[in-house]
Amino acid sequence: MEILDKLKVLSDAAKYDVSCSSSGSNRSNKKGGIGNAHMSGICHSWSEDGRCISLLKILMTNYCVYDCLYCVNRSSNDIPRAVFTPQEVVDLTINFYRRNYIEGLFLSAAVYKNPNHTMDLLTQTVRKLREEENFNGYIHLKAIPGADERLIETAGRYVDRMSINIELPSTEGLQLLAPQKKREAIIKPMKMITAKLHEKGEEKKKYRNTPKFVPAGQTTQMIIGATPDYDMNILKLSEGLYNRYQLKRVYYSAYVPIGQHPSLPAIAGPPLLREHRLYQADWLLRFYGFQAKELLDDRKPNFDIALDPKCDWALRNLEQFPVEVNRADYEMLLRIPGVGVRSAMRIVAARRFAQLNYEDLKKLGVVLKRARYFLTCKGKYYGETSINEERIRYQLTLGDPVKKDILGGEQLSLFSVYPQLSPQKETLHSIVRDWS
Amino acid sequence: MIHYIYDGSFDGLLTCIYEAYYRKEAPEKILFQEDDQENLLVRKVYIEQDKVKAEKVYAAIGAKISRNALKNVFYAFLSEQEDAGSLIYRYIHLGFKIGKAIDEHLSDDRVLDIYKTVQRVTKEKHLMLGLVRFRKLGENLYYAPITPDYQILGLLAPHFAKRIADQNWIIHDMGRNMAAVYNQKEWMITEMMLEKSVDIIEEERFYQQLWQQYFKSIAIKNRINPKLQKRYMPKRYWSNLVEEI
Ligand code: SF4
Repeated sequence: MEILDKLKVLSDAAKYDVSCSSSGSNRSNKKGGIGNAHMSGICHSWSEDGRCISLLKILMTNYCVYDCLYCVNRSSNDIPRAVFTPQEVVDLTINFYRRNYIEGLFLSAAVYKNPNHTMDLLTQTVRKLREEENFNGYIHLKAIPGADERLIETAGRYVDRMSINIELPSTEGLQLLAPQKKREAIIKPMKMITAKLHEKGEEKKKYRNTPKFVPAGQTTQMIIGATPDYDMNILKLSEGLYNRYQLKRVYYSAYVPIGQHPSLPAIAGPPLLREHRLYQADWLLRFYGFQAKELLDDRKPNFDIALDPKCDWALRNLEQFPVEVNRADYEMLLRIPGVGVRSAMRIVAARRFAQLNYEDLKKLGVVLKRARYFLTCKGKYYGETSINEERIRYQLTLGDPVKKDILGGEQLSLFSVYPQLSPQKETLHSIVRDWS
Repeated sequence: MIHYIYDGSFDGLLTCIYEAYYRKEAPEKILFQEDDQENLLVRKVYIEQDKVKAEKVYAAIGAKISRNALKNVFYAFLSEQEDAGSLIYRYIHLGFKIGKAIDEHLSDDRVLDIYKTVQRVTKEKHLMLGLVRFRKLGENLYYAPITPDYQILGLLAPHFAKRIADQNWIIHDMGRNMAAVYNQKEWMITEMMLEKSVDIIEEERFYQQLWQQYFKSIAIKNRINPKLQKRYMPKRYWSNLVEEI
């Protein structure tokens, strides 16, 4: 097969992987070498779907011995298959990198022959890049669950980031849709990487030149909307992964319907808005000091479609508002809808010199359209309605720009956002119109 | 009212600041091009670039305000915005009064205006770090044409000198007829004009095709969203890309 055809098949198969971030590593170039990793990451292009292209994101192969129902590469699916040699991946990476098309490589694979064989191909590739080509650009490698831990550990010495996919938010979901995959086989290597990272951290305190081991940490990804799990369970899972395994990121990937099966939800299109709400909530966990249980509970296990999680939280906790911006501490400022990390820091810095006016807030980056209902400035309240949940909710949902953006002007269908709300899978076929 | 007119160089601008300070004048505007409008109320003063004076101002900004202020001033200058000189003057003027705390006074327009300008330049620089596309012209020689809004060549070059250090490369700002040239040891900025567009060799065509293929197949069809694509990557930057959009 020509390299062009292989690239077509194997990039096509990789595109549902969402994590393309190239940040978090600052590997520097060595003498006579090529490449370095930029701490904040760089996008090199944006594809037609508006996603950032940063890494050459390909599969080593899409031949798979497993048959996960939600996946295009499942063994029972009749599609063109291909496999790269390690050298082919190396040449592509180096030549794309020299032309500044990419920040580095994101290499993943279906399970070809068996987990160990696949992991070995992946490891050979990254070793060649680092040792033969002297490549110091970014490498993100997917580890194959079920592969020998020593293989995974060896690969970890060459790459910047490693990830093992959680795949689905619940064990039941896994049993139903990917019965050949075992939760244990996913969690075990994850634990090993966390332990190894910890060990490296300790070593580093003692010796200055300890060799690197996945310096940009590990991440994972799960598919949203292929199983009937609640947002609450998903968010709690993420919280656990951040706290217990120190994951750098959890990525959510809206399930793209690719086939019909009694165990799969019949939805017209990927639940993009739901995915977006999860990302917003994930952000609140990581940077805003929120806990999952504050955002969702048994009475309200799913996010509001119409309102972002922070506004929604604020409205359910109105007794804590309005907040006086000239006095509130940083943590409370962060909880005001429309105030981000940067604007909260700016407020704290700026008010040391002078009491802030309402007009100043805008200059400091506060989104007043949302914030004005939740704050006072020098004691004055600026929302045009009194502090009343229903009224504010109404005002805030009038012009949420996010929905339009994400759905590209597409009319919102309740079931496309919350497939688990669907009454009956059979009847759904007839209710939901075609996405396209 | 006084307008200072300088030669468009960074040193020239710094010289203006020096003169304003020592002549105890408060120029209304500092311009690198005369505005055509003759105005009886305006006295135009032509300021000649002076390296020594510029050096003094440069050192004073670093010492009396902050290194960050130096960076702000330089980036604002690179914006080539018509009022950049005047904004910089007002910013430095305030900075000499209140010192390194200046960057916390974001609610002051003199600071905010500089910040907005600096942000635009920084944003374009960061975007271009990704969008520069090198074409391989021959044995280890790579060429990239760019047409940025701001004068960012000098900000891009150090990044690529570190990154693709074992390559010879040229980044060509076609709008300004300037280029950053690197020879595996050091980079410099020179004037450059091309009579005709560069020839594409076979190997280069091969990788361009591969990249175009990759660009096409990586998009998820159910999610096509050209508006979003254009928001992140404005259309005016597309002409020098290799991908077929
Ligand atoms: S193992 Fe991976 S590639 Fe293979 S079918 Fe399952 S999800 Fe797809």
